[in-house]
Amino acid sequence: MKGTFTKNFNPLITFEHKRDTYGFAVRPQHLQRYREYSNIYKVEEEERSDRWEDFLERQAESAQSPVNGISEEEGNAASHTEAKIQEADTVVEKTLQEGDTIVDKTLQEADTIVENVEEASSGSKSAAEDPVENVPEQEEASAEKDTKMHKVQIWTHIRPSLISIEDMMSFRVKKRKNLLNEEQGVGRKNNLSVIEEERPSKGAPEEDSEDEFYDMERSDPVQDTSSLDNVNSSSGGDAVSPEPFFPWKVELESLVRGGVPMALRGELWQAFVGVKARRLDGYYHGLLATEVNAQSDKDFVSASNGTSKGSNTGGRCANEKWKGQIEKDLPRTFPGHPALDEDGRNALRRLLTAYARHNPSVGYCQAMNFFAGLLLLLMPEENAFWTLVGIIDDYFDGYYSEEMIESQVDQLVLEDLVRERFPKLVNHLDYLGVQVAWVTGPWFLSIFVNMLPWESVLRVWDVLLFEGNRVMLFRTALALLELYGPALVTTKDAGDAVTLLQSLSGSTFDSSQLVLTASMGYQTVNEARLQELREKHRSSVIAAMEERSKGPCVRKDSLGLASKLYSFKNDHGPLTKEANAAEGLGDLQTNGDLCPLELIGDTDADSLPDLQEQVVWLKVELCRLLEEKRSAVLRAEELETALMEMVKQDNRRQLSAKVEQLEQEVAELRQALTDKQEQERVMLQVLMRVEQEQKLTEDARRFAEQDAAAQRYAANILQEKYEGAMASLAQMEKRAVMAETMLEATLQYQSGQVKAVQSPRAVHRDSSTVQPTQEPAQDIPTRKISLLSRPFGLGWRDRNKEPIEGNINESGQSTVTLQKDTNGQQ
Amino acid sequence: MATSGNKNINAKLVLLGDVGAGKSSLVLRFVKGQFVDFQESTIGAAFFSQTLAVNDATVKFEIWDTAGQERYHSLAPMYYRGAAAAVVVYDITNQASFARAKKWVQELQAQGNPNMVMALAGNKADLPDARKVTTEEAQTYAQENGLFLMETSAKTAINVNDVFYEIAKRLSQAQQVQNPSGMVLMDRATEKATSSSCCS
Ligand SMILES: Nc1nc2c(ncn2[C@@H]2O[C@H](COP(=O)(O)OP(=O)(O)O)[C@@H](O)[C@H]2O)c(=O)[nH]1
Ligand SMILES: [Mg+2]
Repeated sequence: MKGTFTKNFNPLITFEHKRDTYGFAVRPQHLQRYREYSNIYKVEEEERSDRWEDFLERQAESAQSPVNGISEEEGNAASHTEAKIQEADTVVEKTLQEGDTIVDKTLQEADTIVENVEEASSGSKSAAEDPVENVPEQEEASAEKDTKMHKVQIWTHIRPSLISIEDMMSFRVKKRKNLLNEEQGVGRKNNLSVIEEERPSKGAPEEDSEDEFYDMERSDPVQDTSSLDNVNSSSGGDAVSPEPFFPWKVELESLVRGGVPMALRGELWQAFVGVKARRLDGYYHGLLATEVNAQSDKDFVSASNGTSKGSNTGGRCANEKWKGQIEKDLPRTFPGHPALDEDGRNALRRLLTAYARHNPSVGYCQAMNFFAGLLLLLMPEENAFWTLVGIIDDYFDGYYSEEMIESQVDQLVLEDLVRERFPKLVNHLDYLGVQVAWVTGPWFLSIFVNMLPWESVLRVWDVLLFEGNRVMLFRTALALLELYGPALVTTKDAGDAVTLLQSLSGSTFDSSQLVLTASMGYQTVNEARLQELREKHRSSVIAAMEERSKGPCVRKDSLGLASKLYSFKNDHGPLTKEANAAEGLGDLQTNGDLCPLELIGDTDADSLPDLQEQVVWLKVELCRLLEEKRSAVLRAEELETALMEMVKQDNRRQLSAKVEQLEQEVAELRQALTDKQEQERVMLQVLMRVEQEQKLTEDARRFAEQDAAAQRYAANILQEKYEGAMASLAQMEKRAVMAETMLEATLQYQSGQVKAVQSPRAVHRDSSTVQPTQEPAQDIPTRKISLLSRPFGLGWRDRNKEPIEGNINESGQSTVTLQKDTNGQQ
Repeated sequence: MATSGNKNINAKLVLLGDVGAGKSSLVLRFVKGQFVDFQESTIGAAFFSQTLAVNDATVKFEIWDTAGQERYHSLAPMYYRGAAAAVVVYDITNQASFARAKKWVQELQAQGNPNMVMALAGNKADLPDARKVTTEEAQTYAQENGLFLMETSAKTAINVNDVFYEIAKRLSQAQQVQNPSGMVLMDRATEKATSSSCCS
């Protein structure tokens, strides 16, 4: 049977794609991978449901040996389904009974319970139809009913088929309780003690887990399963009757490692934590009822928590403080989760408030809101309360208290383990200046909630709660570092390393791989080993703590020695025991818890039962501290030299890198230089060629100019000569005309004479007398030809040198030469 | 040598302050530019990284957003040790958160890196009607203690980037003054970053 919460938060139906089957938000960057894996999850879930069903059936058959009344009843049940129906009835009865007792206390809640009876029966019927597997359908069926009323189901027993498991686990709780009762007796730190005194029969969870671990170390652990030894080992001195042997425990363990079916998870977790053995009737409601008469109640709380460190601010104040913090965190717990509506948040508020009142030395610590929220999704409110009590008070004792000492110790222990297992990775992280604890601290404090995908978180919780200690935290962290170490080694700076580890772990969807790597690969990491390492580190954590509180915080400083004394004795129980095997301290030990309050308070009269003993003890402490200091100084020196070495090495590496680089550059420059020179040479050649060409063209130009000038000159001369020639031609023509006229005149004269004499013309022309006159007539055409042919004649240039006027003046003469020429031609 | 002038600085930055002052919201705004009404509570610490360019330098912030609850205080030194910068956040609508911020400043002055660049961020400046801490009061305190004050709003983004930008600027200036010997781890990392960019 699950509470309203469980039914409401509904696998597989109608969640926005941004939420997973549990209703939790999936980060956008993971959506794709989530979708890939959701089918694998479905298959896995079916398989494990079958396996568990089979296991539980066999359990039911073999449950003849009556461990308690209910299992007898269950033993008769022939089949699982029958058992379920029966169980449903039981639940109704129980709820009714419960209702009766509570009605007196809170009027408001009485209604709720009456309604719850209905709800419980309907819910259980639907569950009975479909006992283990096929969660979605079952949830759907019940979801309808739930929507109409959304009330708190206060308390339900787990289904009978799981009771033998619960019984087995209860031995763990009872044994622990007995040990504590034996050793401590008085000076209880939480409210249960007050009530316990009134009802000696009912036990209460205790916080001092060290005792249990001592016990464990004695019982020689078989292979890895220290937790199971723990469950099994019958410690002879105990008042509890020797534990029966559970032959199916190994099988159960492997089933748990394979995962718990969703439908059984809430109940199995309760069984693992041993809720039944822890529960006190009415205690939860009692805690909540105090709200009504607030003032008196707070006095009650502060009175009862004499040993709590928070009490030095006064009970009331502390209480107010939780309230504010719880209020702030309510909307910041799985924001937007469909089950965490107003009723859901109210339940969350009640749960956290009740826990804070139950254990004022822890009060409220951030992270618990997520645990409480998760538990409320899986089980009814009061069941969730007792589960939370078990987890915080037992499993995580000293973790979430004001100093968080165990949390710091665990980080040092983990660092040791990581150094041992992954030296290369640690080397690299050291080099980058990354502390593993930066990342793993939040992992541990949140028990991986919001750090891994939900499926993986739940699987880790399955194993952790089953084992009854924090071993699984370490194993999971180591497995994650194993998985992602190779990638981390490639990172170049601190930021990248942390980012990578955060994002890789955030997408560890392969939950089976994770859980199996963790629980199979790190079996030597067991509770005994962890305790050993914790012892080693605890003192340094406390010392650092004290050192720091000396600083700015005046309030703590005023407590001074007293608070130191207290913290050594209280938080540090086993260590001091070890350190002071000397007798008389036993006394102090028992009184120890009361000590600080009295010191802080008004009087110190009865707080110092034996001053001398205390002095002795303080001396021992002082010696030890001095020794520690010395070793710390030594270690610091060592580290410093190591650091110097590293830095030097680093510088050397850098320098050599630089030298290399410079050399390379020089080579490059040289290359460039030769290249340049080559280029220059080529350029020079080109230049020379160009110059030569230029010279040539210059010459050519000059010649051309000279030519041009000469031609121009020649042309001028020609022109002149032509003109001269024309002039002389004209003259010649005139002369020729004159000569002709003269010739005509002569001829006329002659003819005049010849007429008279009558002489023929032709005979006269052939005669020698005619000869000179014949010349000019013949001359005219010849002269014209030679004039034209003249420029082409040889040696014309030389003749140009003749003065022009001479030419002109000697026109007569030139005709003579012409005549000569023509004569020559003839 | 190709990279003259541009420096790469890796700076660890830590956010401290009371529960609900808005540390996570400021980081979310700065790194992703988002704001959600209900930011999940921070358990232990959360890491983010973001790079900013100022003048002649590139500053890569390695941001640690811490849990605000007082008891988580004991884990804080792990995160502020070796940090080059801190943003101490308070909620202007909550006087107690301002008192808490002062305590953080005191602690950083006593225990932190003496060259640390410290900013005081008065967040939720978008709620002036609910204001309980005056600007003057905070300004006076900041001046007396050598921090710079900015009133921010993760919701409206006012002054959010500016805080980080101012820090980056101061870091890049401080870097110039410091000698570049490799003795301090933080410097060493920076050196390394610079030289590696040089070689590439
Ligand atoms: N109005 C307003 N609300 C803010 C602002 N910053 C944060 N908040 C709200 O204050 C609450 C606490 O913020 P958170 O970042 O978780 O604080 P942290 O505990 O310091 O990390 C959340 O509900 C935010 O939505 C802001 O600038 N303005
Ligand atoms: Mg936060």
